[in-house]
Amino acid sequence: MTVLQTRSLTLAHARTPVIDGLDLDLPAGQVTVIIGPNGCGKSTLLSGLARVLAPRGGSVLLDGCALATMPTREVARRVGLLPQSAVAPDGLTVRDLVRYGRHPHQGLLRQWSRADAEAVDAALAAAGVEDLAERPLDTLSGGQRQRAWIAMVVAQDTPVVLLDEPTSALDLGHQIEVLDLVRSLAARGRTVVLVLHDLSSACRVADHLVALVDGQVVAAGAPGAVVNPGLVRRLYGVESVVVPDPTHGTPVVCPVGLAARTG
Amino acid sequence: MTATLPRRPAARPPAVAAPPGHSMLGPVLVHRRGLVTVVGLLVVLGAVVAISLAVGSVRIDPLRAVGAVFGTGTPRDLLVVGQLRLPRVEAGLAVGIALGLSGCLMQTLARNRLATPETTGLNNGATAFAVASVVSVPMSLAPPAMALTGAATAAALTLGLSGGAGPRGYRFLVVGLGLGAVFGAVTNLLLARADIDTANAAMPWTVGTLNTTTGPAVRLLELGLLVGLPTAMLLGRWLRALRFPDAVATGLGVPLGRARIAVLLTSVGAAGLSVAVAGPLGMVALAAPEAARRLTGPGPVPVVASALTGAVFTLLADLVGRTAFAPLEIPAGLVTAVVGGPYLLWLLLTTRTRTTP
Repeated sequence: MTVLQTRSLTLAHARTPVIDGLDLDLPAGQVTVIIGPNGCGKSTLLSGLARVLAPRGGSVLLDGCALATMPTREVARRVGLLPQSAVAPDGLTVRDLVRYGRHPHQGLLRQWSRADAEAVDAALAAAGVEDLAERPLDTLSGGQRQRAWIAMVVAQDTPVVLLDEPTSALDLGHQIEVLDLVRSLAARGRTVVLVLHDLSSACRVADHLVALVDGQVVAAGAPGAVVNPGLVRRLYGVESVVVPDPTHGTPVVCPVGLAARTG
Repeated sequence: MTATLPRRPAARPPAVAAPPGHSMLGPVLVHRRGLVTVVGLLVVLGAVVAISLAVGSVRIDPLRAVGAVFGTGTPRDLLVVGQLRLPRVEAGLAVGIALGLSGCLMQTLARNRLATPETTGLNNGATAFAVASVVSVPMSLAPPAMALTGAATAAALTLGLSGGAGPRGYRFLVVGLGLGAVFGAVTNLLLARADIDTANAAMPWTVGTLNTTTGPAVRLLELGLLVGLPTAMLLGRWLRALRFPDAVATGLGVPLGRARIAVLLTSVGAAGLSVAVAGPLGMVALAAPEAARRLTGPGPVPVVASALTGAVFTLLADLVGRTAFAPLEIPAGLVTAVVGGPYLLWLLLTTRTRTTP
C-alpha cells in the first residue's frame, strides 16, 4: 500500500496562499473524497498532491519521500492524475488516449510491451469503453469521453489515483458506473483521492471524507461520523436534515434552506 | 506492495501485437501512415530536387542533371549544375527543412498553429539587423552574420522578457509579437532614411530569397540541422505529450520545464540559422507543418514530415520564382507569400474546426 501524506503543506496561486500549513494523511488502499465549497482549495490540493503545483512550503510525502525531490517520471509511475476538464489533441481515438497512460512506463527503447497492451485492454474494459476503443474522442458524448479519460488514468497503473470531479457532466447511470469503478480500484489495493461536489455521492463512495474550508481541514473521517447538519452549515451555509440512505445507510443531506448569516 | 491490474504470468511471451495503425520494428513502435508519408515525401522531394537542378536558363535533362551532381556528364553540365544550381538547391533544402522543423516544434509547444518564427519576432529581428548592416556605414559583419545575430537577439530578448516558455507558451508568443513589431519598425525606419540604391540592396533581407546565399551560412545551417533534426526526433515522446494540458502532461511524467526549453531552443536555433541563409522566407514554417499533419493524420507529431514538406515548399517556391517570369527573377519569399497565403486559407477552411496543432 502506498501512503500519501502532506506535512505543513502550503500551496499558492501567484502570491495568494490557498492552502496554508496543511497536515493530512490519506489512508492507503481506501477512497478519500475531498469536499468543500467553491474556492476552498479542493482542486488546488489535488494539484499539489499530483505535484502539478509545486509547494510554496512544506511537502507532499509519498511513502515518506518528498514528491518534489523525485523524478517526474518516477512520480508518474506511482501517482496518476485526471485533472478537471482535460482536453486531448484533435483526432485521437479512445485507444490512442488510453495508450498515453502508459507513457511513464515507456522509453525510447521500450515503446510498446506486453504489459502496455494488457494494461490498455484492461483499462478499456474497466471503464466500459471497449466498444468505443477505435472511435475518435470528438465523436463521443461527454460521459463517454469522461470514461475514456478515466481509462487513461487506470492504464497508467499507479498505486495512487487522483481524480478531480470525475463525475461532472455525467448522468446518474454513468455517475454510478464511475463511482463503482473507483470502488473497484480501491478494492484492488489502490489509494484513490477524489474531489466531488455532490455530498450524497461523496458519502456513498468514500471510506474517508476530508472537508475543506478556506484551505483548512474542518472535518475528516468516515462519512457516517463526520457528516451532520453542523458540517453542512459550516461548508455551504445551508440548513439541512441529514438522514441515513435507506439502501446503503450512508448519510444523505436534505437541504432545507440557506442558514441565517451570523456575524 | 504495488497494486496492479490482474496479469497472466509471463512465460516467454510471444511478440506483442502493436496497436491499430502501428507496427513493431524491434523495440520501436512505428506509425504506419506516418512512415508512408515520410517515404512519399522523400520521393517527391527527390523529384523536385532533380527538376530544380534541370530547369533554368539552360535546360538539362533531369537524369543528366542528377548524374552531374555525382561528377558525370559534359563539362557544361558539370559547370551549370555543380557550380550554379547545386549550391542553391542545397541551400533551399537546408532552409526548407529548418523552417518546417522550427514551425512544427513551435506550434506543438504553444499548442497554437500560429506560433512560428514569423510571429514570434525572430524573422523581424534578423531582417532589422541585416538591413542595418546593408544600409549603414559598412560594418565588419556581413549581412548573414548580422541576420543570425538579429535572430539570436530577438530570441534571447523574447525568452528573457517572457521568462522562459511560460505556461502554454502564450507569453512567449505575445512577447515575440510585440518585439517583432518593434524590429519591423526599425527596419522601415532604416529603409526610409536610405537612398534608393541602398534600399534596393537591402531588399532581399526583407522578403527572403535563395539568390544571395553564402557558403559559410549554409554550412553552419547544415551543421545545426545535423544536431537539431535528431534532437527533435528524440524529443518526439515529449512533443506528443506536450499537446495535452500541462496538468495532464505532468501527470504522464513529462518534466515540463526541461521539455519546453529543449523544444524551444531546437526550434529557435533552426529558424535563426535559416534566416541567416535566406532571410525571412515567409509562410513555410506556418504551412508546412499544417500540410504534414494532414498527411500524417492524428497521433504522432510529424517532425520529419514537416521538415520534408518545408523543403519541398521552399524548393518549389524558388523554382517558380526563378522560371515563371524568366529572365526576371522573383524572390522565393514573395512566391511563398503569394502561394502560401491562399493555400493556408484553403487548408484552414477545409479542415474541421481544430484548436490544437
